[in-house]
Amino acid sequence: MGIHKVTECERTKLESFLDKFQLPNVFKKVGITLFLLSFIGLTIIKFTENEQLWVRPALKQAMLVGLLVISISREKIEDELIQILRSKSYALAFIIGVIYIMLQPLVNQVVNFILGTSEAPDNMGYVQVLLFMLLIQVGFFEVLKRNR
Amino acid sequence: MENSIKVERAILNLTQDDLAKKIGVSRQTINSIEANRYVPSTVLALKLSELFNKPVNDFFKLGDDD
Repeated sequence: MGIHKVTECERTKLESFLDKFQLPNVFKKVGITLFLLSFIGLTIIKFTENEQLWVRPALKQAMLVGLLVISISREKIEDELIQILRSKSYALAFIIGVIYIMLQPLVNQVVNFILGTSEAPDNMGYVQVLLFMLLIQVGFFEVLKRNR
Repeated sequence: MENSIKVERAILNLTQDDLAKKIGVSRQTINSIEANRYVPSTVLALKLSELFNKPVNDFFKLGDDD
Protein backbone atom coordinates (compact mmCIF):
# COMPACT_ATOMS: atom_id res chain seq x y z
CA MET A 1 0.00 0.00 0.00
CA GLY A 2 1.44 3.38 -1.02
CA ILE A 3 1.88 6.26 1.40
CA HIS A 4 -0.89 8.21 -0.33
CA LYS A 5 -3.35 5.35 0.22
CA VAL A 6 -2.32 5.08 3.90
CA THR A 7 -3.05 8.82 4.25
CA GLU A 8 -6.49 8.31 2.73
CA CYS A 9 -7.19 5.44 5.17
CA GLU A 10 -6.44 7.65 8.15
CA ARG A 11 -8.83 10.37 7.05
CA THR A 12 -12.55 10.16 7.45
CA LYS A 13 -14.94 12.17 5.29
CA LEU A 14 -15.56 14.53 8.21
CA GLU A 15 -11.82 15.23 8.53
CA SER A 16 -11.50 16.06 4.84
CA PHE A 17 -14.54 18.36 5.16
CA LEU A 18 -12.89 20.15 8.11
CA ASP A 19 -9.72 20.60 6.02
CA LYS A 20 -11.73 22.41 3.34
CA PHE A 21 -13.50 24.50 6.00
CA GLN A 22 -10.33 26.47 6.78
CA LEU A 23 -9.45 29.75 5.11
CA PRO A 24 -6.13 30.43 3.33
CA ASN A 25 -3.30 32.00 5.35
CA VAL A 26 -3.80 35.49 3.84
CA PHE A 27 -7.12 35.75 5.68
CA LYS A 28 -5.24 35.83 8.98
CA LYS A 29 -4.10 39.39 8.20
CA VAL A 30 -7.67 40.31 7.18
CA GLY A 31 -8.93 38.97 10.52
CA ILE A 32 -6.26 40.81 12.53
CA THR A 33 -7.05 44.08 10.67
CA LEU A 34 -10.80 43.68 11.25
CA PHE A 35 -10.25 42.86 14.93
CA LEU A 36 -7.90 45.83 15.49
CA LEU A 37 -10.14 48.29 13.61
CA SER A 38 -13.23 47.23 15.58
CA PHE A 39 -11.25 47.39 18.84
CA ILE A 40 -10.06 50.93 18.00
CA GLY A 41 -13.64 51.84 16.98
CA LEU A 42 -15.03 50.56 20.30
CA THR A 43 -12.37 52.52 22.22
CA ILE A 44 -13.19 55.71 20.30
CA ILE A 45 -16.98 55.48 20.82
CA LYS A 46 -16.38 55.04 24.54
CA PHE A 47 -15.25 58.69 24.62
CA THR A 48 -17.86 60.11 22.25
CA GLU A 49 -21.15 61.54 23.45
CA ASN A 50 -23.48 61.23 20.48
CA GLU A 51 -23.28 57.53 19.87
CA GLN A 52 -25.57 55.90 17.31
CA LEU A 53 -27.42 52.90 18.73
CA TRP A 54 -26.28 50.50 16.01
CA VAL A 55 -22.56 51.36 16.16
CA ARG A 56 -21.53 49.45 19.29
CA PRO A 57 -23.30 46.13 18.41
CA ALA A 58 -22.01 46.37 14.83
CA LEU A 59 -18.41 46.87 16.05
CA LYS A 60 -18.76 43.96 18.48
CA GLN A 61 -20.00 41.73 15.65
CA ALA A 62 -17.09 42.89 13.48
CA MET A 63 -14.69 42.00 16.31
CA LEU A 64 -16.27 38.53 16.55
CA VAL A 65 -15.97 38.00 12.80
CA GLY A 66 -12.33 39.18 12.90
CA LEU A 67 -11.45 36.70 15.67
CA LEU A 68 -13.30 33.89 13.91
CA VAL A 69 -11.40 34.59 10.67
CA ILE A 70 -8.07 34.53 12.59
CA SER A 71 -9.16 31.30 14.28
CA ILE A 72 -10.03 29.38 11.11
CA SER A 73 -7.19 30.69 8.92
CA ARG A 74 -4.50 28.18 7.98
CA GLU A 75 -0.88 28.58 8.97
CA LYS A 76 1.73 29.04 6.24
CA ILE A 77 2.66 25.37 6.73
CA GLU A 78 -0.38 23.58 8.09
CA ASP A 79 1.08 20.24 9.16
CA GLU A 80 -0.16 17.58 11.59
CA LEU A 81 1.52 19.16 14.64
CA ILE A 82 -0.23 22.48 13.95
CA GLN A 83 -3.56 20.64 13.62
CA ILE A 84 -3.00 18.94 16.99
CA LEU A 85 -2.09 22.26 18.63
CA ARG A 86 -5.18 23.87 17.08
CA SER A 87 -7.41 21.10 18.48
CA LYS A 88 -5.82 21.52 21.91
CA SER A 89 -6.42 25.28 21.84
CA TYR A 90 -10.12 24.75 20.95
CA ALA A 91 -10.49 22.24 23.80
CA LEU A 92 -8.84 24.63 26.26
CA ALA A 93 -10.98 27.56 25.07
CA PHE A 94 -14.15 25.49 25.51
CA ILE A 95 -13.26 24.32 29.03
CA ILE A 96 -12.07 27.75 30.20
CA GLY A 97 -15.16 29.36 28.59
CA VAL A 98 -17.52 27.08 30.53
CA ILE A 99 -15.62 27.72 33.78
CA TYR A 100 -15.75 31.49 33.06
CA ILE A 101 -19.54 31.38 32.54
CA MET A 102 -20.01 29.40 35.77
CA LEU A 103 -17.70 31.55 37.90
CA GLN A 104 -18.58 35.02 36.58
CA PRO A 105 -21.88 35.40 38.58
CA LEU A 106 -20.11 34.06 41.69
CA VAL A 107 -17.27 36.60 41.27
CA ASN A 108 -19.87 39.37 40.89
CA GLN A 109 -21.57 38.22 44.11
CA VAL A 110 -18.25 38.19 46.00
CA VAL A 111 -17.32 41.66 44.69
CA ASN A 112 -20.78 42.98 45.64
CA PHE A 113 -20.43 41.45 49.11
CA ILE A 114 -16.97 42.97 49.65
CA LEU A 115 -17.96 46.40 48.33
CA GLY A 116 -21.31 46.30 50.11
CA THR A 117 -23.19 47.08 46.89
CA SER A 118 -26.30 45.32 45.65
CA GLU A 119 -26.09 45.55 41.89
CA ALA A 120 -28.48 43.43 39.86
CA PRO A 121 -26.82 40.33 38.39
CA ASP A 122 -25.39 41.18 35.01
CA ASN A 123 -26.51 38.72 32.32
CA MET A 124 -23.65 37.84 30.03
CA GLY A 125 -24.41 38.31 26.35
CA TYR A 126 -23.42 35.75 23.76
CA VAL A 127 -20.99 38.26 22.25
CA GLN A 128 -19.07 38.54 25.52
CA VAL A 129 -18.85 34.75 25.91
CA LEU A 130 -17.87 34.12 22.30
CA LEU A 131 -15.28 36.93 22.34
CA PHE A 132 -13.77 35.45 25.50
CA MET A 133 -13.64 31.92 24.06
CA LEU A 134 -12.20 33.05 20.72
CA LEU A 135 -9.59 35.22 22.46
CA ILE A 136 -8.58 32.26 24.64
CA GLN A 137 -8.38 29.97 21.59
CA VAL A 138 -6.31 32.38 19.50
CA GLY A 139 -4.06 33.22 22.48
CA PHE A 140 -3.44 29.62 23.53
CA PHE A 141 -2.84 28.56 19.93
CA GLU A 142 -0.12 31.21 19.58
CA VAL A 143 1.46 30.17 22.91
CA LEU A 144 1.38 26.46 22.00
CA LYS A 145 2.79 27.25 18.55
CA ARG A 146 5.71 29.21 19.99
CA ASN A 147 6.51 26.46 22.50
CA ARG A 148 6.25 23.53 20.09
CA MET B 1 9.40 7.11 22.45
CA GLU B 2 13.00 7.75 21.42
CA ASN B 3 14.29 8.40 17.94
CA SER B 4 17.48 8.84 15.97
CA ILE B 5 16.12 11.18 13.30
CA LYS B 6 18.98 13.60 13.95
CA VAL B 7 21.54 10.88 13.16
CA GLU B 8 19.68 9.71 10.05
CA ARG B 9 19.40 13.30 8.89
CA ALA B 10 23.13 13.81 9.41
CA ILE B 11 23.90 10.66 7.37
CA LEU B 12 21.96 12.14 4.45
CA ASN B 13 23.57 15.54 5.10
CA LEU B 14 20.20 17.27 5.42
CA THR B 15 19.31 20.28 7.54
CA GLN B 16 16.08 20.33 9.55
CA ASP B 17 14.66 22.69 6.94
CA ASP B 18 15.63 20.36 4.04
CA LEU B 19 14.04 17.36 5.76
CA ALA B 20 10.92 19.38 6.60
CA LYS B 21 10.50 20.42 2.96
CA LYS B 22 11.00 16.84 1.74
CA ILE B 23 8.20 15.43 3.90
CA GLY B 24 5.93 18.49 3.80
CA VAL B 25 6.03 19.73 7.38
CA SER B 26 7.49 22.79 9.12
CA ARG B 27 11.05 22.99 10.46
CA GLN B 28 9.63 23.38 13.98
CA THR B 29 7.82 20.03 13.63
CA ILE B 30 11.13 18.29 12.78
CA ASN B 31 12.72 20.05 15.75
CA SER B 32 9.90 18.86 18.05
CA ILE B 33 10.24 15.27 16.79
CA GLU B 34 14.01 15.27 17.25
CA ALA B 35 13.64 16.67 20.77
CA ASN B 36 11.08 13.93 21.59
CA ARG B 37 8.41 16.55 22.29
CA TYR B 38 6.18 15.19 19.57
CA VAL B 39 5.54 11.66 18.31
CA PRO B 40 4.62 11.83 14.61
CA SER B 41 1.70 10.04 12.97
CA THR B 42 2.09 6.75 11.12
CA VAL B 43 1.95 8.61 7.81
CA LEU B 44 4.83 10.91 8.74
CA ALA B 45 6.83 7.99 10.15
CA LEU B 46 6.35 6.12 6.86
CA LYS B 47 7.42 9.17 4.87
CA LEU B 48 10.60 9.32 6.97
CA SER B 49 11.10 5.60 6.47
CA GLU B 50 10.85 6.02 2.70
CA LEU B 51 13.28 8.93 2.74
CA PHE B 52 15.86 7.21 4.99
CA ASN B 53 15.29 3.91 3.15
CA LYS B 54 15.03 2.08 6.48
CA PRO B 55 12.20 0.44 8.43
CA VAL B 56 10.43 2.72 10.93
CA ASN B 57 11.64 0.80 14.00
CA ASP B 58 15.25 1.42 12.96
CA PHE B 59 14.93 5.05 13.97
CA PHE B 60 11.93 4.99 16.37
CA LYS B 61 12.31 3.00 19.57
CA LEU B 62 9.92 2.50 22.47
CA GLY B 63 11.21 4.13 25.66
CA ASP B 64 11.07 2.68 29.18
CA ASP B 65 7.88 4.64 29.93
CA ASP B 66 6.00 3.33 26.86
